Amino acid sequence: MTKWEWSKLRSGKKKRAPQIEINRVPDQFTEQHGDKRITGDLEQTIAFVNGLLGDNGDFMQRRFDVFGAFPAVMFSFSNMSDTALVNTDILKPLMHVPAHLTGIQFDVHELKDVILRDTLYHGKASSDDRFAMIVESLLRGGTVIVVDGMDEAIMVETTKVEKRAIDQPETEQVIRGPREGFIEQLGTNLSLLRYRLPTTDLKIKSMKLGRVTKSRVAVCYLKGIVSDALVQEVENRLSVIDIDGVLDVGYLEQFIEDNNFSPFPQVQNTERTDKAVANLLEGRVVILVDGSPFALIVPTVFNQFYQTTEDYSERFVMVSFIRLARLLALAFSLITPSLYVAIIAFNPELIPTKFAVAVSGGRAGIPFPSVVEVLMMEASMEVLREATLRLPQQIGGALSIVGVLVVGQAAVSAGFVSPITVVVIALTTIGSFATPAYNAALALRLLRFPLVILAAMFGLYGVMVGLILIANHLLSLRSFGVPYLSPVVPGNFDSMKDTVARAPLWSMKKRPAMLHTPNDDRVGGSVMDELKEPPHNTLDPLKVGNHKEEMKIGISSSNNGDTGGSDSH
Amino acid sequence: MEYPRQITAIQAAAILISTIIGVGVLPLPLFAVRDGNSGAPLLTLLGGIIAYIGIWIITKLGIRFPRQSIILYSEAVLGKWTAWIGNVLIIGFFAFLTALAAREFGEVVITSVLKRTPLEVTVIVMLLMASLSSRNDMTTFAYIHHFYLPLIVFPIVLILALSLKNAQFINLLPVWGNEPSPTDMWRGVLTIAALFQGSFVYTMVIPAMRRPDRAMVAGFWGVFIAGGLYVSTVIAAVGVFGPAETNNLLWPTLELAKATSLPGNILERLDAAFLAVWVTAVFTTLFSTYYFTIHAMSRFFRLRDHKLLAPFILPFLFALAMVPQNVVQMYDIIAIAGRLGLLITIVYPLIVLLVAVIRKKRGDAGNGKDAENAS
Repeated sequence: MTKWEWSKLRSGKKKRAPQIEINRVPDQFTEQHGDKRITGDLEQTIAFVNGLLGDNGDFMQRRFDVFGAFPAVMFSFSNMSDTALVNTDILKPLMHVPAHLTGIQFDVHELKDVILRDTLYHGKASSDDRFAMIVESLLRGGTVIVVDGMDEAIMVETTKVEKRAIDQPETEQVIRGPREGFIEQLGTNLSLLRYRLPTTDLKIKSMKLGRVTKSRVAVCYLKGIVSDALVQEVENRLSVIDIDGVLDVGYLEQFIEDNNFSPFPQVQNTERTDKAVANLLEGRVVILVDGSPFALIVPTVFNQFYQTTEDYSERFVMVSFIRLARLLALAFSLITPSLYVAIIAFNPELIPTKFAVAVSGGRAGIPFPSVVEVLMMEASMEVLREATLRLPQQIGGALSIVGVLVVGQAAVSAGFVSPITVVVIALTTIGSFATPAYNAALALRLLRFPLVILAAMFGLYGVMVGLILIANHLLSLRSFGVPYLSPVVPGNFDSMKDTVARAPLWSMKKRPAMLHTPNDDRVGGSVMDELKEPPHNTLDPLKVGNHKEEMKIGISSSNNGDTGGSDSH
Repeated sequence: MEYPRQITAIQAAAILISTIIGVGVLPLPLFAVRDGNSGAPLLTLLGGIIAYIGIWIITKLGIRFPRQSIILYSEAVLGKWTAWIGNVLIIGFFAFLTALAAREFGEVVITSVLKRTPLEVTVIVMLLMASLSSRNDMTTFAYIHHFYLPLIVFPIVLILALSLKNAQFINLLPVWGNEPSPTDMWRGVLTIAALFQGSFVYTMVIPAMRRPDRAMVAGFWGVFIAGGLYVSTVIAAVGVFGPAETNNLLWPTLELAKATSLPGNILERLDAAFLAVWVTAVFTTLFSTYYFTIHAMSRFFRLRDHKLLAPFILPFLFALAMVPQNVVQMYDIIAIAGRLGLLITIVYPLIVLLVAVIRKKRGDAGNGKDAENAS
């Protein structure tokens, strides 16, 4: 039984629980009045809604007469709905009989159709007779109109919640590439996706998760590119989630990931719209939650954590070089301190003699063994990092100066640590900052500590043992069935063009094979042939000159007036 | 277009290579020189050929029964009780092989790097590593071997290439050895062939292969590359030290690493670094034999899963590893047990194959009822 099956079983049990202990469900309304329906009696409806929501200070109720004839009431949460819109598009046409309706008499039974079809100037209006639906619409910022004698209420979506502007995501800055990021509102995020993918294949399935928050979750994918089984699996895993609140997409991540105990993230998150779209195009599924500016991308392989969207905008040679640097940074952040400890404590004969003398000179007078020194420095570095992260920017700068001074220069002159240790720790810290994905860098930061301890116990042998255990763990990880280290292991030559090096875009003709897309052609078949044609150098000075030879005016001849005589020099 | 994601031919070859190359490479030139003198490379080559015959036999069997491992099809071929003896021997032998490999590497580590660490600790660390990793499924088993292959092949090729500048061709002459005695030669060839017998895990790999018919090609390349590295190691060691000096070295390959240095003087000495990287090679070998032991046991007891057995056999293997009193006795045991092991890893499959041919037994190629799932 895999972990996933186990957790499924467990959450399956959890899901059954509310049926037995019904009082535990916090949303009392749906439990008590789940199937209550509206009657034609206006006063009864008002009394009921008031009993339910009237205690709230921001709840608004306004009586009026539709077309001056039918008594009605309008409910809304004043701060959540757009008052100007309610006034002009709902109240005005309802109270002031529109021109095309003047003089016509209606029966109360026709009124619903008249209001919905002929009166309201609003796109999102509907009618329902279930209180559950009406109350939900109200709670999401809608405006509800109940007319005396009408057995259905009219609901208009007038939601207006303040949102911040779309700006560049702070966590994933790029030098070259689009600058827009997701924001908290799901609607806006979906519009950003649709804006980049104007195709009928973009499917957005929505569901509601969270007993209290009832957060809207959107599962986005490109039909025909994504494997259908993957979409099914994502929906299955999401549908078993039963929790009171989903405040961020990270909540979902922890429910749908394959291995909960692994330090490595098996689901990628991004704030960038272009990254989400690029992943949709590769055949992945993107999950968005209302209220979170992050999107989840599944399935994820280790490669994605040191790649950025910029890599595809820049030219491929430069990018391959930069990716190598990032991999080096990853390696630094994981193994430098443990290698240092192992070599100093066990195998100083490995390093060149002159350097070994310098190192031991630097270490003279340090009271601690190298492992204590390194662990101490690492710990203080972690504290410093956490401290600067939480502080406001103005103080943060001052703190980092103090921190750097204390951890760096002062500690050395105090005879507390050796200079070479400071260099090692600095390399490690810089290395972990150079990793594009924060959560992957975090995993390596964490694994550094057991490696240092192993190094202190068994030297290089211990480091190797630790690395083998980490590698074996990585090799056994799966994200939605995709081996975590693919496309390197198991190897796939086409997909390997986008790992450490990035091949030119025109040579990456297939979508990643590990995602099993039904449609894997990315680049048209004839593009290569066209590219191989000799280019037309339209502005080649020789050609331009030849072409315009007859028109002498204003154009220099192709030999620039040089008659070819040897006396020109 | 879609295959069930199973072991490919490349992965199968990788499994063979990384299983064969292990701690045995360290004393290999000594084994070869002791019985073959300057004919050591020739001896190694012959050993490799015998090992290949073994692989050929189990591949033939594997192709004949593409959905079963040897534990199951031997029962179908030889009859339940006859095969029972053979299978118990196989499981016991591989448990012993695992224990000895862990012990051997433990000795290497405490002799050359961690001089003050007790032997028990290094042995148990290696066994624990293998035990933890054996809880994975067959696909991950293949991935692990595939992933470590470059880490195993690269350092040894590097050491060989760097040591060539100290080698002298005269040390390798005469190619057939000084006054070779057939008994010595024969014993040496068998000892070398015994170093290859981790490759018997191939019987477990073939049923999990995507296309068992490619097993022959994969088997050939696996043994060819591993054998090639073996022969090159012996050539390099004998070429640098000469037959007489090699005879005095316990782990000539390690001495080879000591004698070489990287250009540019990045690392003063290579032996500790080499040994550190060599942990991977030893790990993959141990992992293979450990995995094979529990996999065979789970098939033998008709268990659905082998994971539970992984920690269960750990104490037994540890006890087995502690049986030899010292290095000398350990190598005596390894040489004798290895040669006897050939009876299990080559002669026994040969008998099974012959009987299968005579009795015209054949496994079904499709996904029959007795199909073994790879994952």
